[in-house]
Amino acid sequence: MPVDSQYAIETQDLTKIYRARWSGREVRAIDSVSLRVPRGTTFGLLGPNGAGKTTFVKTLLSAVRQTNGSALIFGRNASDPEARRPIGYLPENHRFPTYFTGSGMLDFYASLSGVSAAQRKKLIPEQLELVGLSQWGAMRIGKYSKGMLQRLGLAQALIHSPSMLILDEPTDGVDPVGRREIRELLGRFESQGVTIFVNSHLLAEVETLCREVAILHKGKVALTGKMQDLTAGKGYKLTVAKPSDVLTEELRAKATSMAARDGLVDFQFSSRELVNNAVDLLRAQQCEIESLAPTTSTLEEVFVRTVENK
Amino acid sequence: MLTLALIRDTFREALARKIFWVLFALSTLMILFFLFLLKIDIVAGATATVSLFGQQTRGNPDVDRMVRGVYGGIASFLYTFGMFLAVFASSGLVPSVLEPGRIELLLSKPLSRTHLLLGRFLGNVLVVSLNSIYLVLGVWTILGVKTGIWSPAFLIAIATTTFIFAVLLSVVVLIGVTLESAAAATMITVALMIISPILAQTNLMMRLLSSEWSRNVWRVLYYSLPKVYELGKITLDAIQSGTFAGYTPIWTSALFGLATLGAALWIFQRRDF
Repeated sequence: MPVDSQYAIETQDLTKIYRARWSGREVRAIDSVSLRVPRGTTFGLLGPNGAGKTTFVKTLLSAVRQTNGSALIFGRNASDPEARRPIGYLPENHRFPTYFTGSGMLDFYASLSGVSAAQRKKLIPEQLELVGLSQWGAMRIGKYSKGMLQRLGLAQALIHSPSMLILDEPTDGVDPVGRREIRELLGRFESQGVTIFVNSHLLAEVETLCREVAILHKGKVALTGKMQDLTAGKGYKLTVAKPSDVLTEELRAKATSMAARDGLVDFQFSSRELVNNAVDLLRAQQCEIESLAPTTSTLEEVFVRTVENK
Repeated sequence: MLTLALIRDTFREALARKIFWVLFALSTLMILFFLFLLKIDIVAGATATVSLFGQQTRGNPDVDRMVRGVYGGIASFLYTFGMFLAVFASSGLVPSVLEPGRIELLLSKPLSRTHLLLGRFLGNVLVVSLNSIYLVLGVWTILGVKTGIWSPAFLIAIATTTFIFAVLLSVVVLIGVTLESAAAATMITVALMIISPILAQTNLMMRLLSSEWSRNVWRVLYYSLPKVYELGKITLDAIQSGTFAGYTPIWTSALFGLATLGAALWIFQRRDF
C-alpha cells in the first residue's frame, strides 16, 4: 500500500556508476539526479540515447543498485519490495516467455503482484478486453505480433490496479490507431488519479500525453518543468506578402528567423513589442500582412535546444 | 501465493522444454517395460517362472534377489543417466529468467530477489523429484503386484536422488547467475559428477600420494565437493542389502549445496540487470 507522500517518485542525488570489471573504467550512467514526480500527474522522461533514462527507471525498480543517493516510491525506499506493489511496469524490449498464452501470462504476473485467484479469474478477461485482445487470450504469445505483445504488456501492467504506471516506450510497435487507443486509455487512468511515468523517444507523443517532463542529458537533469510552461509563449509569426528587399532586410534584422515561400515571407519575432514595431513598419510602407499569430515552441524544439546547449 | 506462482512458472517452462519430456518418456518406457514385458508367475508363494521378452528363465529364480537387482538398476539409472539428463534439462531454467526484458519485469514485482531465485530453485527440484517419484513408485508398485515383494528400501531412492539433484542444481544456479550460460552450468556440474567416483577413492589415494601436502589437497577436495557417487552407493547398499554406510556423504554434500546456493543468492542480490 502506498504510504502518505505527495510524490509518487522522489529521488535525491541519485547516482549510478558502472565500473568495467577489468579496466576499472567508470561510466556515470546517472549523476546526482534529483527529481520529484507529483502524484496523479503524467510525467515524461526524455533524453538522447545513452542519457541514462533506462538506468534511472531500473534504479527506481531496484533492477539496478544505485551507487549514491536515494529513491523513494510513494515515500517508501525503492529497494523495499513493498515499494513496488503499487507500480505497474512495462519494460522496453520486453521478452515475455513464449510458453504462455495471453491469459496465462496475465495470470502469472498478476499473481506476482498479489492478486488473488478469484480476482484474477474476473480481471483477466476484463484486461484483455480493455487492450483489445479478448479474442486472443487462449493463444500462445509466441504467435502474437509486436503490437499485440505491447498491448498485452500494458494489460499486465494494469491488472493489479496500480497507483503508478511506469511505461518504457509504451506505443513501440503499435500502429497509429492502436497508439491513439493507448493514449486514450492512459488518459482515462490519469483522470482516475493514477500517476503515469513515461519514458519515450517519441517527443510528439510525450507532448500530447504528459503534463510534466524532465530531460536527461549525459546522466544529469538538463531541464524539468510543466509542459505548458516549456512550450508556451515563445513569440509571434508574421507572414507578409511580397515585401520589398529593403523592407525584408529591415524586418530580418529585428526577427529571430525568416523563411520565404511562394511570394510570402515568414518572420518570427520573439516579443510582442518587436512584432508591433514590425507591423507599424509594414503599415507605413503599405505592405500587406497575410497573417499574424502567436507561436509556441514544440517539445522537439525545447529538447533540441536543451541538449545542444549542454 | 508468490512461491506457488514461481513454482508453477518453472513447471510451465520445464514442460515447454523437450528434454523434460524425454526424461518423462524414458521413465514411462521403463514402467511399461516392467508392466508388459516382465512376466512372473508365482505358485504357492514360490516363483514358478519368470519370463522376459517371452523367454522363460530356467530353474527356480530367486525373485527377491531379482527384484532388488531391478531396484538397484533403476537407482543406478537415476543416479547416472537420469541425473545427467535432469542437470542438462535444468541448466537453462535460471539463465532464461535473467534474460534482458524478462528479469526487469520480474524484479518490478513486490518480491525479493531471494524469493525469486529460491522459487525457481524449488520449482526445478519439484519437477525432477516428481519424475523420480513417478518412476520409482511406478516400478515399485508393478513389481510389488507381480512378485508380492514390497520393499520400502527402494523408496529411499526418491529422497536421495532429489537430494543430490538439489545439491547439483545449486551449482547450476550459481553458474547461471554468474555467467548466464546454460552450457557452462552443464559442463561444470557434469564435471562434478564425473569427478565424484574418483574422489571417492580416498583410502586408496592416501596410500598412493607421496606428500602430505597432496594428501591434504585431496582431503579438501573430497570433503568439500558433493559426493554423488557415494550417495548413489549408499542408496544401492540400502536397497540391495539393507545396510547403511554413514552420514558423512550426506552432510558434506548438504553443506556444499547450502554454501553454493548461498553464494548464488549473494551474487544475485548484488547484480545489476
